[in-house]
This record gives sequence, structure tokens and C-alpha cells, in this order.
Amino acid sequence: MSTTFPGELPADAPIVGPDVTLGSLSEEVSSRVLMRRAPLWWWVGFTIASLLLLVLIIQMGWLFIGGIGIWGVEIPVAWGLALAEYVWWIALASGGTIVSALFFLTRSPWRSATNRIAESMLLSAAPCAGLMPIMHLGRPGLFYWLFPYSNVMGVWPQARSPLWWDFICLICYILMSLMYYYVGILPDLATVRDLAQSRTKQIFYGILSLGWRGSSREWANQRVVYAIMSAIMAPMVISVHSVVGLDFAGGLTPGWHDTQFPPYFFFGAVISGTALIIMLTILVRWGYGLQDLLTEYHMNAMAKVMLVGSLLLTYSYIWEAFGPIYGSAAAEKTEFFHRIFGFTALPFWSEKTLTVIVPQLLWFPAVRRNLLLLFLISAGVIVGMWQERFVFVTASLEHNSIPSYWGVYFPTFWDWAALAGTIGLFLTLFFLFLRFAPIVSLAEVREIVEEEKSQ
Amino acid sequence: MSDIFGIIGVFDTPNAVKHAATSVRDAGYRSFEAYTPYPVKGLQQIVHPGPRRLLPLLMFGGAIFGAVWGYWIQFWDEVVNYPINVGGRPHNSWPAFTVSTFEFMVLCAVAAGLLGLLAASRLPKLYHPLFNARSFPRASRDRFLICIEAADPRFDPESIGQLFEQLGAERIEKVRA
Repeated sequence: MSTTFPGELPADAPIVGPDVTLGSLSEEVSSRVLMRRAPLWWWVGFTIASLLLLVLIIQMGWLFIGGIGIWGVEIPVAWGLALAEYVWWIALASGGTIVSALFFLTRSPWRSATNRIAESMLLSAAPCAGLMPIMHLGRPGLFYWLFPYSNVMGVWPQARSPLWWDFICLICYILMSLMYYYVGILPDLATVRDLAQSRTKQIFYGILSLGWRGSSREWANQRVVYAIMSAIMAPMVISVHSVVGLDFAGGLTPGWHDTQFPPYFFFGAVISGTALIIMLTILVRWGYGLQDLLTEYHMNAMAKVMLVGSLLLTYSYIWEAFGPIYGSAAAEKTEFFHRIFGFTALPFWSEKTLTVIVPQLLWFPAVRRNLLLLFLISAGVIVGMWQERFVFVTASLEHNSIPSYWGVYFPTFWDWAALAGTIGLFLTLFFLFLRFAPIVSLAEVREIVEEEKSQ
Repeated sequence: MSDIFGIIGVFDTPNAVKHAATSVRDAGYRSFEAYTPYPVKGLQQIVHPGPRRLLPLLMFGGAIFGAVWGYWIQFWDEVVNYPINVGGRPHNSWPAFTVSTFEFMVLCAVAAGLLGLLAASRLPKLYHPLFNARSFPRASRDRFLICIEAADPRFDPESIGQLFEQLGAERIEKVRA
């Protein structure tokens, strides 16, 4: 027998509002795509996003002219903000796949209305992640040397290096996510096509939906392929983020040389990805007025996932401290004490507070139902995870094995410009998804509506 | 009869369309198809009975192809075309190649799934006679359609109309070819 705590959402709480019908659902979601003029908040947000994107373009232009010396990276800290943010972005992106693929396999009903937001987020964040290492290459124009193809130069990438695995993972991840997204959205694009009034939109969505008719044969094929794709995407995303962990674990630097990093990084993806989905869901729900589709039920479920992510991460943090303290390697010890009491102490303790202590509030059902608190906790988690990546990447390099090789790292203006710029790229892409693609998976929510009606 | 593609019956609940599909099959029609806003459980078996294992097999084939291709490209790189001695390790150091092999494998499986889905559903097909039907757009929203096609040897507009009426169709429409 299950116990319900005071203030907790009952297990059989409605997933969508009582007034939602098949017809109203399609019109509600499609009308957001088809409306002639975007609402004011969309234009305000899109303008801010484009301005930030402009910052990225200027930053990249100056970076390509001046070289990566315009950032604060130096010897010994040759990996600065850009690579910390690479890890941060890829974790945010991975969260999208976790929510949409992993919870498809568990048949969690709350996943159906939020998975499109999660996937749009993932497709917006993945390019930001991919851009970071390319900007960091020093000679970004030659990044195509990473592709394994037969070339007249007669050179090949080093296939034994985790850095190359990472490149392969990321490129496969982006391609696969696009295909996964498209198979999922195809029927919904057909709905938009059928509701479109203007000729241009009919043609645009007609081409995008490839002539989907919703015949029972198409549905059967789509379901089979989508289920297998989900079963592939779930381990795939774990592999992607684990390989990011291997980039570090493969190095001998104290603080990085640890076998636990593949799962450690993945736990970070669970918490920060879910946090960003919660923030975006709250904003989309408010902006598009989708209160009856994105309900308390969804927020409650995602808050629980975020809490689990926080506990997993706490577990990893404990082992991260246990190794240096229990072990006998002097360099590991000094590096660890530098990290927690030295130059990076402030971000270190702030990130532990934001990702371990504050999320414990989510144990209280009332907090999980309070959107404002949920939003603030999620924002805190994302900031905390950024600090975590920053401390992780730079503190280790600052305190390497040889004391004569120690140094400190200060991000410069252009480091911050790269951060602001990629946030701009992310927001621009996400706003475009909001405007041009149905933001709730119609086909899947229809099933839930019918199920609730038949009960 | 060549100017008609088929006749549509419109139903308003998933159970009605399942019942209707069963009756249409029992009445002896074979060339018909159901169009629904979401996959109705059990409808597929009524409209197209029989096993279908092709797509999973295709994706499996894609996975095998991807794994072989992924390993081969690394083998070619590290052993044949550009061998570099890294600390005396064997050129064919397969444990280091597993990660990329896995990534190529899943990439090809997913790509095979997408292409297979399109091929098995005969997509893309930007024009279809059904798009001319007035009742068709609602099949992607809140109505459940059955279309008996003129290609069926037993096709006869009048008896089909009667059948749909008996089954409680909301609306019956002829679709021009």
C-alpha cells in the first residue's frame, strides 16, 4: 500500500487538464505555431537571444584573428572556461535525451508532454557544446582533420585518444538526436499542415511532414522504429557523457585521474539537464498558456528526477573526496585541498550548496508544487553545475604534480563573451523551435487524453 | 470507376473505428486502410493482419554494418595506412577502438531505422488523392477514418455506403482519384 504524505500529489492525479479533448489539444498546440504574429514575449526574448548571438559572432571573429591567447588560458592552465563550458553544455543537452528516451522506455506518462521541450533543448544545446572545443583548437579552420576520411595528406586522426572518441560521440549524438526528433515530430507536423490556413504554411509544413497520412501502417512502423530508437538513444547518451569523463580520466593530472568520472559526469547530466527542462517547461507553459497540458503532475515528476540526480551527484562527490584523503598520493591531496580551501574555494562551496544542499528541499511535496521555488532551485542547480565544471577543469591544472608548475587562472572578458554568446546561440535556436515546431508531442498526448477519458 | 480513389467513412471514437475495421474485413474487403490521429491499439492487426518483423531486422542489419564499418575505419587508420607506435602497444589495439565502434554502430542503426520507416511507409509522398477529401484533415486531429479503395475487387460505392451507414459513420465521402 502506498502512503500519501500531506501536500503530496496523489498517484492518480490527472496528467492533463479535464477540459482537454483531441480537437482542442491539436488546435491549442498548433495555433502557437500557426499564429500570424508571435506574441510580445517571444519577440523580446528572441531579440535578447539574437543580441547575445551577435556577441558570439564578434567573439569568434576576434578569436580567429587573435588566437586563443585572448582568453585567460596559459600554461599551466591550458584548459579554461571554454572546455568547462563544453562539459556543461553537453550535460545540459544529455538531460534532454535522458528525459525523452529513458523515460519513454519506462513508459512514464509525464514524459509525453515534456519530451518535445526536452528534445528542442537538446538540439539547441548540442551545437553550443560542439562549438566550444572547435573554438579552443587554436587553428579552428583545420577541425575537419578530425574526420576519419582518406585524404591526400596521408594523415589520420589518432583513434586511441579519448579526445577523438569524444569528437565521434558528439557528431554521432547530434545526428542521431536529429533523426530521433524527426521521427517523433513527423505526425505532429502533419497535424500542423492540416490546420494551416495560408498557402505558404501549408506548403512549408506539407514538405516537412513528407506526406504523412496517419494510416495504421505508418503508425505501426513509426512506433516500432521510435521504440527501438529510444532503446538505442538511452545507452548512447550515457556513452556520450561518459566519454567526456574519459577525456579527463585519461589524463594523469591530479584530480582528473579517477575511474569514477564516466558515471560522475553522467550524474551531472541527469541533474543539470532536468533542471534546464524544468526551467524551460515553466517558461513555455507560462508564455504559451499551456497550463492544462503541462500540469503539476509533470513538474512533480521532473522535480523528483532532479532530486535523484542530486543524490547521485552527492554520492560521486563523496568518492571524489575519499580518494585523495584516503590515498597516499601527495599531489592528489594538495590538489584537493587547493580545490576546497584555495583559489577556487568560493565556487567550490557555492556549487556544493547549490547542487547538493538546496535540492534537498525537493523532498517536501509543497516545494515540488511551487513553481517559483522550483524555478529558482533549477536555476541554482544550473549555476552550480557551471561552477562545478569550472572548478573541476581549472583547479586541477592550477595545482599539478610539480609545485614549480603551479599557477592560477583568471577568465578574461572574451572568456565571458564566449559564455554569453553560446547562451545566445542556445536561446536563438530554442526560440526558433518554439515558433516553428509544435512544442508538445501531440500524438502521444492524444493517447493520454483518450486513456483518461476512458477511465 | 477509375475516377474514384475510394470511399471514406468517418468515425468519432477509436472503438467505433476498430469495430468498423473488423466489419469491413469480415465483409470481404481487402484494399482498405484506417487513418487515425494516434496509433489505436489493435487496429493495425485488423487492417493488416500477419507478422511484420522487417524494420527491427533492418535496424539490426544497420547496427552490424555500422560496427563493421566503424571498426574497419579505425583498423585501416591505425594498422594499415598510418601506423604509429604508441608506447609499444599493438597497432590493432582493439579495446581503444570499442567506443567509436559502438558510436558508428548505433548511428547506422538509427539511420537505417529512419530510412526504413520512410521506405516501409512509402514516404515521402507529397501528393495523395486523400488530401483532396474534405474530411481528411480531421484524421490528424480528432476523427478516425476508414477508406475502402477502388482497387478492391469487390468495390461498389452503394454497398460500401450502406455498410458505413450501418456501422454508424458520421459522414461518408467519395474521394476522387
